[in-house]
Amino acid sequence: MQLTVELTGIGFAYGATPVLDGVDLSLSEGGFVVLAGPNGSGKSTLLRLCVGLLRPQAGSVRVLGGSPIDPSVRRRIGYAPQGLRVATSLPVSVTEVVAAGLAPSKGWLSRMDRRDWSRVNAALDSVGLGDLSAECLFELSGGQQQRAILARALVGEPELLLLDEPTTGIDQSARPALARELRRRADAGVTVVAVSHDPDDFHQFCDRILLVEGGRLRQVTHEELHTHIELEAAP
Amino acid sequence: MSRLFLSFFLPAYAAGAIVGAAAPVIGSFLVQRRLALMGDGMGHLAFAGVALGVALGAAPLWGALVVAVVGGVALEWLRSRRRLAGDLSLALIFYFGIALGAVVLTAIGRFDASANGILFGSILTATWTDVAGIGALCALVLAITALFYKELLAVALDEETARASGLPVERLNILLLVMTACLVAAGMRVVGLLLIAALLVVPVAAGSRLAHSFRGSMLWGVGAGVLSAFAGLAIAIGRGDLAPGGTIVLAAIGAFLLASALGRGAARRHPRGATP
Repeated sequence: MQLTVELTGIGFAYGATPVLDGVDLSLSEGGFVVLAGPNGSGKSTLLRLCVGLLRPQAGSVRVLGGSPIDPSVRRRIGYAPQGLRVATSLPVSVTEVVAAGLAPSKGWLSRMDRRDWSRVNAALDSVGLGDLSAECLFELSGGQQQRAILARALVGEPELLLLDEPTTGIDQSARPALARELRRRADAGVTVVAVSHDPDDFHQFCDRILLVEGGRLRQVTHEELHTHIELEAAP
Repeated sequence: MSRLFLSFFLPAYAAGAIVGAAAPVIGSFLVQRRLALMGDGMGHLAFAGVALGVALGAAPLWGALVVAVVGGVALEWLRSRRRLAGDLSLALIFYFGIALGAVVLTAIGRFDASANGILFGSILTATWTDVAGIGALCALVLAITALFYKELLAVALDEETARASGLPVERLNILLLVMTACLVAAGMRVVGLLLIAALLVVPVAAGSRLAHSFRGSMLWGVGAGVLSAFAGLAIAIGRGDLAPGGTIVLAAIGAFLLASALGRGAARRHPRGATP
């Protein structure tokens, strides 16, 4: 089975502050992995290394069999950053945001066709935003905006999904449907990596929970993660 | 008499309509990227280009175009490498452009009424040859925008995610600034180098008050740009003693105020409250 993510001896620091120290990780296609850990532990940094937005200071990153800075590799990744990064100067419709996710894979000079718009609508339906496609993104609630950002990551039908806090702002009641959608994609062969603060969001649906702590990764159970969070929160 | 009057000013209306339609298209991407001041800065740099062009015996349009393109590419190169931070650095480069232009023009004894036309426009004396040049530049810009619309929009919405998804963000940014330079050169005759940035930005701001999408803002902006050009020209020609560059921009600001009032009214009639 092909490895979709191979991190070997990754070291990374922001200035003098070390974040990751000798991280090794191998993910096969079709898995659903949750990255958990305290704030500042390096969860988002790991995702940004996998998508080539950061370069490791030690070790190597291989994604989908190539370098994460190779555009042909990047086009096969669906990435949803943490929070709303969409520029807010002008109104932007939900459809425009999601369709932007198809721009890299469409290729130069090719225009969006009927099939592409069907994919946009399917991605919106998969996150429950089908009825709001024509709305301005900034007039939606935080949870709806987050779902639009997720739909943008999903629309290109990527082989690897890297999602940073995908449930931020989304109602607790709506989270299981989102987790089921990610599970469905993992079962179809997509590798899903989701950073999550809340251990209850995905535990019934994911294959593994990896705790990022002290610059390293270790696999934990859902119960161990709960215990860890309670210990962290204790005075 | 009226036919003669109309045929005399027809090139002015044509040039105004072309720039009024094309500027908001590029302006939409600049505003969304928070690069609205880039058009202003390129206008300042283009003034140095006009002066150098005149000194070298070239047409002002070509001098403006070359310096604005080179300046725009250099600015983007510096910006993308974070060697240019903050308004102060941009201001230094822009004022360098306009000061250099003034010095070169005075040194060759050409700082006369034509400099005023370059800075504030001279649309009333536009010829059909001017219209052809302006039209060719704007048509080129619009054609390139249509070809790369989805890529330019993806970068304008979220540069980091666009980069992560494999789009060549730096090259697209340079393309946008080169097109801005073309628009600045094309608009030089219509509203002048000091006011062209207003046509890039103000109609788009008006459009944003009426639309719920980027494309909608752009299309409303195109409408506002063309109407502003017509209204501003009509006022300037009717009065006979007003600078048309100024009246066009003031008409665009009027369109923005009107659109703001209409947009607020529409929002009150059709509240678009979000549901959790």
